[in-house]
Amino acid sequence: MQGVAVPISMVAGNSFLHRLNPIAKLVWVVVVLIISFATRNPLLLLGLSIAGLLVVLTAGIWRQFARVMMILLPVGTSLIVFQSVAPAFPQPWTAITSIGPFTIYQEGIYSGLSLLARAMSMTIFALAMIMTTHPSDLFTSLSRLRVPYVLNFMLAMTLQLIPVLQREIAVVMSAQKSRGMKSTGFGAIIPSFVPVFAGAIERVQQLSISLESRAFGSTGHKTSYRQVAVRPADWLVGLAGVALLIGCLAVFLATGGLDMSRSIVFPPVVAIGLVAASTVLFVAFIASAIWLVVRA
Amino acid sequence: MTATQAPPVATEPRGDGSDAAGDGPSSVIVDDLTHVYSRGKVRALDHVSVRIKPGEIVGVVGQNGSGKTTLTKHLNGLLKPTEGRVTVAGIETTRRRVQELAAHVGYVFQNPNHQLFASSVEVDLGFGPRNLGLDPAEVAERVEAAIAFFGLESVRHLHPYRISFPMRKLVGIAAIYTMRPEIFVLDEPSTGQDHITTRKINELIRRLRSDGSTVICVSHDMQLMADVVDRVLVMWNGQLIADRTPREVFADREVMARTNLEPPQITEIALRLQARTGRPPALSVDELADAIGPTLRPVISGVS
Amino acid sequence: MPSPAPIIEFERVTFQYAASEGHALDDVSLTIGEGEYVALMGLNGAGKTTLELCINGIIPNMVMGDLAGTIGVAGLDPTETPVREMAKTVGMVFDNPEFQMSQMTVAEEVALGLENLGVPFDEMRARIAEALATVDLVGFDDRMPLALSGGQQQRLAIAAVLAMRPRILVMDEPTSNLDPIGKQEVFAIAERLNRENGMTVVMAEHEVEVMARFADRVIVLDHGRIVANGTPREVFSGIETLQRIGLRPPQATELAVALRSRYGAWRGELPVTTEEAVDALEATMIGTAR
Repeated sequence: MQGVAVPISMVAGNSFLHRLNPIAKLVWVVVVLIISFATRNPLLLLGLSIAGLLVVLTAGIWRQFARVMMILLPVGTSLIVFQSVAPAFPQPWTAITSIGPFTIYQEGIYSGLSLLARAMSMTIFALAMIMTTHPSDLFTSLSRLRVPYVLNFMLAMTLQLIPVLQREIAVVMSAQKSRGMKSTGFGAIIPSFVPVFAGAIERVQQLSISLESRAFGSTGHKTSYRQVAVRPADWLVGLAGVALLIGCLAVFLATGGLDMSRSIVFPPVVAIGLVAASTVLFVAFIASAIWLVVRA
Repeated sequence: MTATQAPPVATEPRGDGSDAAGDGPSSVIVDDLTHVYSRGKVRALDHVSVRIKPGEIVGVVGQNGSGKTTLTKHLNGLLKPTEGRVTVAGIETTRRRVQELAAHVGYVFQNPNHQLFASSVEVDLGFGPRNLGLDPAEVAERVEAAIAFFGLESVRHLHPYRISFPMRKLVGIAAIYTMRPEIFVLDEPSTGQDHITTRKINELIRRLRSDGSTVICVSHDMQLMADVVDRVLVMWNGQLIADRTPREVFADREVMARTNLEPPQITEIALRLQARTGRPPALSVDELADAIGPTLRPVISGVS
Repeated sequence: MPSPAPIIEFERVTFQYAASEGHALDDVSLTIGEGEYVALMGLNGAGKTTLELCINGIIPNMVMGDLAGTIGVAGLDPTETPVREMAKTVGMVFDNPEFQMSQMTVAEEVALGLENLGVPFDEMRARIAEALATVDLVGFDDRMPLALSGGQQQRLAIAAVLAMRPRILVMDEPTSNLDPIGKQEVFAIAERLNRENGMTVVMAEHEVEVMARFADRVIVLDHGRIVANGTPREVFSGIETLQRIGLRPPQATELAVALRSRYGAWRGELPVTTEEAVDALEATMIGTAR
């Protein structure tokens, strides 16, 4: 009962991506984030996603990666379904066809696909980083960038405390249910959370004494157990990312975001097929979600 | 200063704990209980069967991971069986929620901080009875009775977190007492406590039994087993490997070795002298002293 | 045998916690020699934890209160020396294993103190390996501390302290939250460190029988005062004192006392361990008719 599992999503490995400096990876995540929001061009975003997938393939984390990526399926199908009939896009809209009260628009398909591609590119790069970087290495790198040690420590502690607090809440709720407490409603809040808070405070008090006893308050020079290298390759990768960002932003400024919304035309067959398939999948997800909740 | 052993129960429970026909109703019936989790990967309990009669004080021992806590959590419905059945006070646990079973089985958690939260001890003691839907007069009466029984007058108005930890352990038990369950489950009641508190808790357990309650103690404390408990259930690897009196369990070197438990020092001494005394091992200092004292020539001890 | 050089000295130490009435420590004077294994015993609230927190300077540097008297630890004054300096000499292990964990991996937990002291990387690696070997956690380097069992966490806490190479190991009821196997492991480690490495051990505990077996000396506290200070035999033979404050001696001792007072059947020194009691009784019982 004592041990909790801290959700470190890192997958062990020794690929180029694994060995890349955490900051270089973080730079790329931020670059992709900015680019993804600076444009709606689905081709560009799709290209970015494919590039990301290729990088992931080299890292040998495909199985775990694919499992987490599955979450994009319900997100993606819902985007396409809802965007196609109600585009988050300035009017005027070009209709393709109508099914009952719903009309599918060119701009809707465009919007749905670009939003999906945006979500994909961001998620792929973020996952690529999270799954190949040990949090401690990231924190060590951040501290080298003069991020205060205490801040780092707090971040690391918070990450670990989440499953601990989950466990504590579960234990306290069991304890109070054993005293007849109804699990829902206002009356359940204080008996459930006061003990957890008190426990957290006690933990922090005792931990701080333990840390203090291990010279935590030292102001002198600190060394680091986790050795994170900064190699020329890391600099190259980081600078390449920054260069890409600057290049893209320049192009977007010049061409108005590489907007293709007015030039792309989706044939009706493609549009209807896409929407139909998405709708079916989406409904299937909702149904299975409801079934799971009801069964539990 | 030494504790005295409770008078032996008239019919010593044997083997799997089943009672002969006509022996009276059972308080707790665990029938071929198996509990599996993590999608079949962990078998926490493996075909455990035991019957406990009203008024028995039963100890459950075993290392962490042996299944002893998993077993007791089935008694108030916190866990439900994967296979088999658990019946408490005549009610099958799968038919009721934890909150409902709480009226019959009082589970005192090891850490009182997990259960205490209110602005004062008094208010906290009333939490259980209030949840049972009792009227304020009845709740107040039960709170008064608990304060008297547990000697909590001096702390009744204090916040539970402001009183010493040993006192909080007592309040934790009192908070369950106010619910007047027929069966008490105490999770490590004396672990980490000093001698005085341990004695107080032992005394409380005996008084709960005199009141007519059934008490089940999960504990690492072999001294508790020796002093207070009628019957010991030994858990190992999810299995119930022994269901005997404390005396018999301590004398069973094989079981003790398998579970990595050691008997209390006095029993260990008695076991080693067994060849000379020819008796089952003593559970208390008084018992051993009286057993060997009369015929003993003065011991000139060689210790220096 | 010459008495060991003193490494901890308390002279008339009194301490009162801020916002609290009554003295947590009341006129405490004691001397602990280097390499001694000292058991601190007493009821909850007697002052054991307070005394221990004075040894590495947590009191008064981190915990507020009024401290009077003189304290000397390995030639340093903990009241004047920063705790991080004292940490090089005094290692502290507390009763809740989980509340001492803060790092993502076992190796980092052990490294924490070393990082804070600025120990170079290569030496860090060596010390971590050594510490983990001492507590039998070899190969656990990449495991998560919070995912370990209580016994493993406590051993990790000990390793984290040992890596700093202290001369004194102070432990506050380190086994109270552990199962019997975990307890045995912790007691075995402390005993081995004391016997093989000459580590000074100060351990607050309730396990009378275990302390009688391992400790060179027992100090008993009651309401902040020292009421007994001597070898286990000396202290546990003081039956009236123990009874008065609510402690009990080992059952082996109680047995001898009962035999003596009720049957006149014990003469001489009282035993404090199983072996002593059994040896003495067996020798007498040979030939006793049954």
